[in-house]
Amino acid sequence: MAKEIKKPARPEEPDLLPAMGLFTILIPMLLSMTAFQKLAIVEVNLPERSMMNMSDEPPPEPDQQSLNLSLAITSDYLVIGARGGFQPNVFFKEMWTFRCKSDAQLITYAPEDVKASVEAGKGPKCKDGKEMDPEKYMYEIESIELWALEKSSEEDPGRVIWAIYSSQGENVPDSVFVDGNNAFLALAGEGTMGLTPPPSLKKPGAGVAVATLAENSARKLKPEDAVRSIIYPLSAYDLIAKDLIAIHTQFIDLDDADNIIVVANDDTQFDKIISLMDRSKAAGFTKVNLAKLGG
Amino acid sequence: MARKMRKYGEDVPFSLTSMMDMMTIILVFMIKNIDAEGQLVTQAENLILPVSTSRVQPKEVSLTVIVDNNYVLVDNGKVITTEEVLKQEDLLITSVDSVLKERRQTEQEHALKMGLPADEPGNIIVQIDKNIPYDAMYKVMATCGFAGYTNIAFAVNMKNGGEE
Repeated sequence: MAKEIKKPARPEEPDLLPAMGLFTILIPMLLSMTAFQKLAIVEVNLPERSMMNMSDEPPPEPDQQSLNLSLAITSDYLVIGARGGFQPNVFFKEMWTFRCKSDAQLITYAPEDVKASVEAGKGPKCKDGKEMDPEKYMYEIESIELWALEKSSEEDPGRVIWAIYSSQGENVPDSVFVDGNNAFLALAGEGTMGLTPPPSLKKPGAGVAVATLAENSARKLKPEDAVRSIIYPLSAYDLIAKDLIAIHTQFIDLDDADNIIVVANDDTQFDKIISLMDRSKAAGFTKVNLAKLGG
Repeated sequence: MARKMRKYGEDVPFSLTSMMDMMTIILVFMIKNIDAEGQLVTQAENLILPVSTSRVQPKEVSLTVIVDNNYVLVDNGKVITTEEVLKQEDLLITSVDSVLKERRQTEQEHALKMGLPADEPGNIIVQIDKNIPYDAMYKVMATCGFAGYTNIAFAVNMKNGGEE
């Protein structure tokens, strides 16, 4: 008699319902504990002027042996002052980068162009051609950038300086690269206001030794990092950060070596103040005071 | 010709495997983003905080002052419009100062009841929209200091969402 071949049984699926029940409880619980955007704090010392107002005592005489470092920002330039003297101005062109709600793409405009467009009743245009709300476009500003300018005189409108940056993607700059001599890999741009990147500025290839402004950051560029590097306008914040690091290292022995006063105009946006405080703290100036320009 | 009706067999099991895959992905994503310590500061509505490289977390719950494009709020209560703050010449915002002094007094009374030193400087966290002019920020800071809140910190968004 022929042996009856047993038909292979269909594999039974495990009972997933209890696991599903567990997941259904876990997910809302985790959702309530999840932080999609983490907040931090930046500690600050009180404004110089208000401290003076609070006390009847006259302010102390400035110590001649102190550094008395200050970092001032105006609408056109940044400048470092110490011991009554000033370093050369770092001129910049302010640019606003928006992330449009309609297409989630980044687009950069000069503030004067945005204001002119808003005055004409139109919001800034996105890459997909749609307009932002002229009343709420401010909420779509992703970052306020200060592009460093190379100027030969006060009257010179200047040319944008282009540099090599590392990037996490989306053509968004992360850290600026410097060479072995701590010099930026940068050149002034071409065309009107130097808005065209200079053709002679080449991205470093894999294996080239580079560093960032961070301490002990010298390394040979990995192939994937070399591919991701971008040519982008040099930030005036980075130019200032490099000078601040040099000053902090040079005057480390002074009593007020960790102090800095950030001085600004009345109309300076808060975002710029935080950026300057960030750069100051990263350079080693842990005690940041705030003061008003001419105040 | 009669249309052939598809017969739904009783033995067709309801497959949960794909649903389980989806749930597993969501679960892993949630665990990655979980903040076990909790947040002592929550971002106020109607403002965009500036992005900073700071990773300093507040150590305790503090009084919060919010400055958005429309109002200055103390502990979520509207006190004065931002426009009025910008218009005034004085550094001290009297309406904000009186609210802050009241809060400071309550804090000091509470500290005394608890047997803690009451003369320590008050802590305050200021949330300011990133487009607010320095003038408004400066006046708010000076007012906080005048009311006894001298440990001032600005709330900021961590760069890259706090990821390394």
